[in-house]
Amino acid sequence: MIDFHTHPLLVREMYEKYPDLTRIARDVFHIGNNPQPLETFLLEMDVSGVEKAVLLPIDASTARGCAIYTNEQVAELCEMSDRFIGFASVDPHKKSAARDLERAVKDLKLAGLKLSGPTQEFLPNDKKLAYPIYKKAQELRLPVVFHAGMSWEPRARSDYGRPTLLEDVACDFPEMNIVIAHLGWPWVLEAIMLALKYPNVYLDTSCLYFDNPYDFIEFVMTKQAPLTVFEKSLREKVVFGSNYPRVEIKNMVGAIKKVGLSEGCLDLIFDKNARKLLGDAAQ
Amino acid sequence: MKIKLEKLEIQTRKDKELLDITPEVERAVQGSGVKNGMVFILTMHTSSGILVTEGLPCLEMDILNNMENLAPDKGDYYHNRYLDGDGRVAFNAGAHLKSILGDYKAFFPIENGRMVRGSRQRIYFAEYDGPLCRTYCIQVMGE
Repeated sequence: MIDFHTHPLLVREMYEKYPDLTRIARDVFHIGNNPQPLETFLLEMDVSGVEKAVLLPIDASTARGCAIYTNEQVAELCEMSDRFIGFASVDPHKKSAARDLERAVKDLKLAGLKLSGPTQEFLPNDKKLAYPIYKKAQELRLPVVFHAGMSWEPRARSDYGRPTLLEDVACDFPEMNIVIAHLGWPWVLEAIMLALKYPNVYLDTSCLYFDNPYDFIEFVMTKQAPLTVFEKSLREKVVFGSNYPRVEIKNMVGAIKKVGLSEGCLDLIFDKNARKLLGDAAQ
Repeated sequence: MKIKLEKLEIQTRKDKELLDITPEVERAVQGSGVKNGMVFILTMHTSSGILVTEGLPCLEMDILNNMENLAPDKGDYYHNRYLDGDGRVAFNAGAHLKSILGDYKAFFPIENGRMVRGSRQRIYFAEYDGPLCRTYCIQVMGE
C-alpha cells in the first residue's frame, strides 16, 4: 500500500535541525500540533498498513518567503528511511525553476514534482511561469501532484486550485502524468471530468474538510459523485492519499476501505495505480 | 519535604494499547529518596490515560474493547470538526472520552521507601489515539 500524499511536517528531528520549520509549519502551512519523532510517522504507516509514503514539499519562496520543506530536506528524510519516496517542488516564479527541478531529480534522486497554485500563487495554466517546468517534468517523466480545491492555509486562495485550470496542462503535456490532489474538493466533478477525459490525469483521495474521514469520504464519493464512477470508470485513475498529518493515515485508510468499493478496486487505489505512476521509485 | 518530578516520554506503537509503566514508577520512587509519602502518575494528554488494573493480557484486551463500546471512535460527536488551532479536522472525541472514563492519573502511598500497592495492581499508560510519542509525569512527595 502506498500513501501518495503526505507532508513530513511534524518530524521532530527535522525541527531540531532546522528550527525555522516550526514557524513555517505553524504560520504558512497552518498546522499546530506538537512535533513527533520520525518513528511515529513510520509507526503510523505500520498501523495503517502503508508500506511507502510520498513526501511532498512546497517551494513558496516568492509567495511566502519560504519552502515548506526544501528539496534537500526531503532528500535528507529519504536517507533516513527507504519507506519514503521524495518529491521535489520548485518555485514557478523563479527563472531557474526548470533547472532546479532537473537538479532535484538528478542530484537528489527525487521522484516527482509537487506544485500548489494557492500556496505558490500562480495559475497552473500560466504558460510563461509554469510551462517550462512542465516541459522539464515531461522530459524527466515525472508524475506531478497539483494541489486542487480548498486549502486550509490562511493566505491560500482557492481559485488558484480550480481543477479546470489543469485542462490546458493535461492537453498540452499529454506525456506528463498529473495527479489532482484532494479530489479537487469542493470541485469534485470538475476533477472527475478531467480524469475521465484525459489519460494522463489522476486523482488522489486526500480529502477531509468537515465531519470525520468516514462520513466525509462517503459524502464525496457517494453523494457528490456516484461511487460507480470510481468503481467502474476511474478505478485505474485514483491513488490513495491521506494528507498526513492533517489527517491520520489510519483514519483515511479506514474511510476508503469502508466506502463500498470492491476489493479489486481498492487494490488499484491503494497500491497498483501508485506503483504505475511511480515506476522504479516505488520498488 | 522532598518533591521530585520526572517527565517521561513513551513511544506508543499501536492505535490503542496499554503499556505497563509500573517498573518506571517504582524506579522513580526508589530514586527519590522519599521514605514516607506519595507518588502521583499522570498523563500530559487528553486522549491517553493512566489506569490501574491486574496485569493480564486478557484483561488488557477486555478493557480496550469495552472502552471502545462505551466511547466508540466513530460516534456522532460535535468534536468532529475543523480545529483552527490545530490546522486539522478532529477525529478523536472517542479517545478523549476514554481518557475521562479511565482517568488521567493514579496515586499510591509510599511507606519505608516502597510504593504501597496490591499484589495484582499494575500501573498502565493507556493509549487511545496512537501511535504517538507521549509524555507522562511521575511526582514523588514526602519525607
